[in-house]
Amino acid sequence: MPNVPAIEFRQVEKIYPGSSAAAVTDLSLEVAEGETVALIGPSGCGKTTLLKMVNRLIEPTAGMIRVFGNDVRSSNPVELRRGIGYVIQQVGLLPHRTVAQNIGTVPELLGWDDRRVWARVDELFDLIQLDPELRDRYPSDLSGGQRQRVGVARALAADPPIMLMDEPFGAVDPIVRKALQQQFLEVQKRLGKTTVLVTHDIDEAITLADRVAILNLGGILEQFDPPMAILRDPANAFVMSFLGHDRGLKRLSLLPISSVKLVKGPAVSRSASIEEAREMMERWGVDWIALADGDVLHGWVPGEELDGASDLASLALRRFESWLTSDASLLDALDVVVSSRTSAAAVFDGDRYLGMLSAETIGREIVT
Amino acid sequence: MIADGVIDLGWVFDHLGDMWEASVEHAVLTGIAVSCGLVLSVLLSLIALRWRRTYTPITWVTGILYTIPSLALFTFLVPVFGLSLLTAEIALVSYTLLILIRNIVSGIDGVPDDVLEASSGMGMTARQQLLRVQVPLALPAIIAGIRIAAVTTIGLVTVTVLIGQGGYGVFILRGIRRQFLTEALVGTLLSVALAVVVDLLLVGVGRLAMPWARRAGT
Repeated sequence: MPNVPAIEFRQVEKIYPGSSAAAVTDLSLEVAEGETVALIGPSGCGKTTLLKMVNRLIEPTAGMIRVFGNDVRSSNPVELRRGIGYVIQQVGLLPHRTVAQNIGTVPELLGWDDRRVWARVDELFDLIQLDPELRDRYPSDLSGGQRQRVGVARALAADPPIMLMDEPFGAVDPIVRKALQQQFLEVQKRLGKTTVLVTHDIDEAITLADRVAILNLGGILEQFDPPMAILRDPANAFVMSFLGHDRGLKRLSLLPISSVKLVKGPAVSRSASIEEAREMMERWGVDWIALADGDVLHGWVPGEELDGASDLASLALRRFESWLTSDASLLDALDVVVSSRTSAAAVFDGDRYLGMLSAETIGREIVT
Repeated sequence: MIADGVIDLGWVFDHLGDMWEASVEHAVLTGIAVSCGLVLSVLLSLIALRWRRTYTPITWVTGILYTIPSLALFTFLVPVFGLSLLTAEIALVSYTLLILIRNIVSGIDGVPDDVLEASSGMGMTARQQLLRVQVPLALPAIIAGIRIAAVTTIGLVTVTVLIGQGGYGVFILRGIRRQFLTEALVGTLLSVALAVVVDLLLVGVGRLAMPWARRAGT
């Protein structure tokens, strides 16, 4: 049996009454089960319209939308919505209900008994790491970030297989947004919900989504690919301009250090001679030398201190201030490398020294 | 009959029983008027919310009712319904409608869009949305309307003495007719006092019913 996509848009068109222009034009797109897809584009590209057609808050003018193979028009909208998590930018928590009651809304609508609802609410407090003290508070007591998290918890409450998120982290400041995105990734790793995420922030799309759908005005799908593929091969001028000038840097943010080959760098064994050290410095064209043996990095010395020294072991070693762990992104690495005196950073996996990352290596990744 | 002082305390103490009876009558007349007014207003508001085009005519008609002087309204109604409780209540109820309907409708209209979008997105039916979201959130406005309606009605009830009803109006009318200041003053002060008590009670009810709005200040 072929895999049925979790969500399928087939030749969907939407023209709002009283409008001559289409909001969505002949759009076909499939979202696989467990996948996170970001819909992104300028305002008026129909991304929110598209999202709301999945849970029938908006009906298409033409075409078909299927959820796990079933035409959404064949299901009762109320039943359909209870089976799909829905998160919006302004959150829309019920101000007259406590945080716990808000989270329990859908289970309650589904007729779960109280004990089951409260047990589930507890689980969700745990999952999204909300302070249990907030249970009986009202939404007006919460900070913006807490509200967004409660909104996500509420959408997850009945454990729906599909989540629709309309700019879920749009209303909070950048620091909180980063934290929420990080948490989204962690939760997503555990739950693997099929998620459609509307955003206007390309960095958010790149960070969170497995595939990104870039939409143009009138709901025209310009490109639908994994973030790396989009950054590497933008389909056309529109996509390229949408990605911005720092497309190369964005790509670096997706690449872990472990994806590039590290160099041994200007390093010699501690037992090497002064001459060997000078030779190595010359070969690399640097004025410093690192001392390393196997996966242990001892430190480095400036070239001028070699003058008059009898052997390397007698020199006072400096510690590498610029070091990285192998799971950091190349963008993080670039930041460290360009601000370091040595123009290279030592990369570690735990305590193990793996090698050096130079600005040159990173630069190659921007170009290709 | 007229005492030395402005207020004849002797008369006041002799008539405490009458005052209690008048208070009960006054409260009952008010209670009937506000509850009937509320039921009618809820029905009319539901119609106005369901069919938006009816809202303007509804406020128009209730607005006209509101502007008719009470004395005139009683005069029109007496030939039809006689000097009865019904006549009094028809007039009193008609004065509550405009305030209550306006507050109910604006309260429900004032429910934020994001709350509505989220609640329908979660799969609430229109009815669940009305009962679980819109009405609770409109409650501050609705209770504010009930407070105004109740206080206004308490004042108006005094006029119903003209069509043979009781309440504090009895004291006021008799005091004026006999030029006995104490009695007229007692009727007036009791009416004001009842209005204040009822208003405070409604504030209390509102606080209990809406713990979430406590800090917003009702």
